[in-house]
Amino acid sequence: MATLEIDGRVFEVDGDGFLATPEIWNEEVAQLFAKYDGLTELTDKHWAIVRFIRRNFEEKGNAPMIRSICQDTGVKLREIYELFPLGPARGACRVAGLPKPDGCV
Amino acid sequence: MITLSQNQIDRGLDILNNLDNSKLLTHLNSCVHCGLCSTSCIYFLADQDPTLTPANKVDLLASIYRRYFTFLGKTFPAITGARSLNDDLIPEMVDKFFGACTMCSRCNIHCSIGLDIAFLVRTGRMMLSEMGFVPATLQSTVNAALSTGNNMGITYDEFVDTIQWLEEDLQDELNDTTASIPLNQPDKNVMYTLNPREPKFFPLSISAMAKVFHAAKESWTISTEMYDVTNYAFFSGNLAEASIIAHRMMNEMEKLGAKELILAECGHGDRAFRWEAPNYLKIHFNFNIRTSIELLADYIKSGRIKVNKNIIKQKVTLHDPCNLVRNGGIVEEQRYVLSQTVTDFVEMTPHGIDNYCCGGGGGQLAMSEYNERRMKTGKLKADQIRNTGAQIVVTPCHNCVDQLTQLNSYYKLNVQIKTLAEIVADALVLD
Repeated sequence: MATLEIDGRVFEVDGDGFLATPEIWNEEVAQLFAKYDGLTELTDKHWAIVRFIRRNFEEKGNAPMIRSICQDTGVKLREIYELFPLGPARGACRVAGLPKPDGCV
Repeated sequence: MITLSQNQIDRGLDILNNLDNSKLLTHLNSCVHCGLCSTSCIYFLADQDPTLTPANKVDLLASIYRRYFTFLGKTFPAITGARSLNDDLIPEMVDKFFGACTMCSRCNIHCSIGLDIAFLVRTGRMMLSEMGFVPATLQSTVNAALSTGNNMGITYDEFVDTIQWLEEDLQDELNDTTASIPLNQPDKNVMYTLNPREPKFFPLSISAMAKVFHAAKESWTISTEMYDVTNYAFFSGNLAEASIIAHRMMNEMEKLGAKELILAECGHGDRAFRWEAPNYLKIHFNFNIRTSIELLADYIKSGRIKVNKNIIKQKVTLHDPCNLVRNGGIVEEQRYVLSQTVTDFVEMTPHGIDNYCCGGGGGQLAMSEYNERRMKTGKLKADQIRNTGAQIVVTPCHNCVDQLTQLNSYYKLNVQIKTLAEIVADALVLD
């Protein structure tokens, strides 16, 4: 298992840098992962997206569809890609502490 | 720690003990060790590690063949460099065949005697698959496709809700309530497919294609049962599983009775179904198959849709997906489309059939354990992109889009990555 050190804290991650132990996630972890991706400041929109993805994961065990993210948070589709330049999977889901989704992402 | 059973060894060797496969035997026994393949390979170019050359991967497989199926190899293994299929060899096979090759086939076109090296690597993957050593991350993507019908495990309701949401947006954008994304309609001209990453996370390309279909007044549909154009089992080396997935696509085409299957922008989806499935299914398809790239070129050339090349003003370059150019023969169509939809186009060096793989093919994006190596091999592509000075990189492959998006962030390229359909939709002139 690989590790990722951000600001002195060491996390166990998979090869793609997704949290290996999703249960240790909290909002401080989210901030550190975002910082690692170059997102120095998380806006209300970032948080709305991250919290929705996290809630979906805790309730259903997977990442939500982009439609649900847009409709629940009210953030426009194109804006999501600007807020998370790595995309909803490698960007937002990773910050929300989810395992890497399957498929071409 | 690996402990191989005799049964596992036998199953692995059975893949090589295929005397009616003259291609396999010829290509296993013909490498002349000229070394020309080395500098064709993105893994060798990125790392300068001699163990990563295509010839070394061929020799890894050929050495096992020699040990079990040739007189000299059986009698004097040490002299002939023959190696036993044992516990120690498995990690090396997994690393070389799964972790250090995208099967992009660039070595094939540089090979002095024309060996199909990517085919030999895939044969190595087939052995590992038979023995149960497919990386769990890749297998999990295959399992999702087998158990849910698409590789991201999207449910029927989630899919239909997403398509309806996109349809409403399209109608708003076009101010036209007849614009639609028809589901499960029988007897249409076209059954269109998707990469599951589109409905799950990146639906702009679905909207773009729907807009183009609307402009072309196409009679088309998407199946909710089988829209997934990908077939990762082709990469994991499990042809039985690949056959199940390909059969589903074939059956759905026949059920809906569409005249033509249009494959989404997905390099391996095109290769695994259109070109390879007739071989592993051992059948001929009784319907037409084209990629959306060919369809878009056809729409523009025939005047069925109108485009204005002055709308997109940024400098644009093109990344050729290996599975489309080298393994699918689709080279000029994407260039024709761009010649009609953008004004400032610049080629990468090299490009076309000699293009470098992005580093994400062959299932690499699914295998987390090779992420670091994938970013390292991707530097070649990142440098190519940077050298063009382009602001937009177009690539007709969703898998390449994902790798390029990650490279964009990792190497701070500051470019936009788009599919071909998105470019055409942006350049579209509606009546």
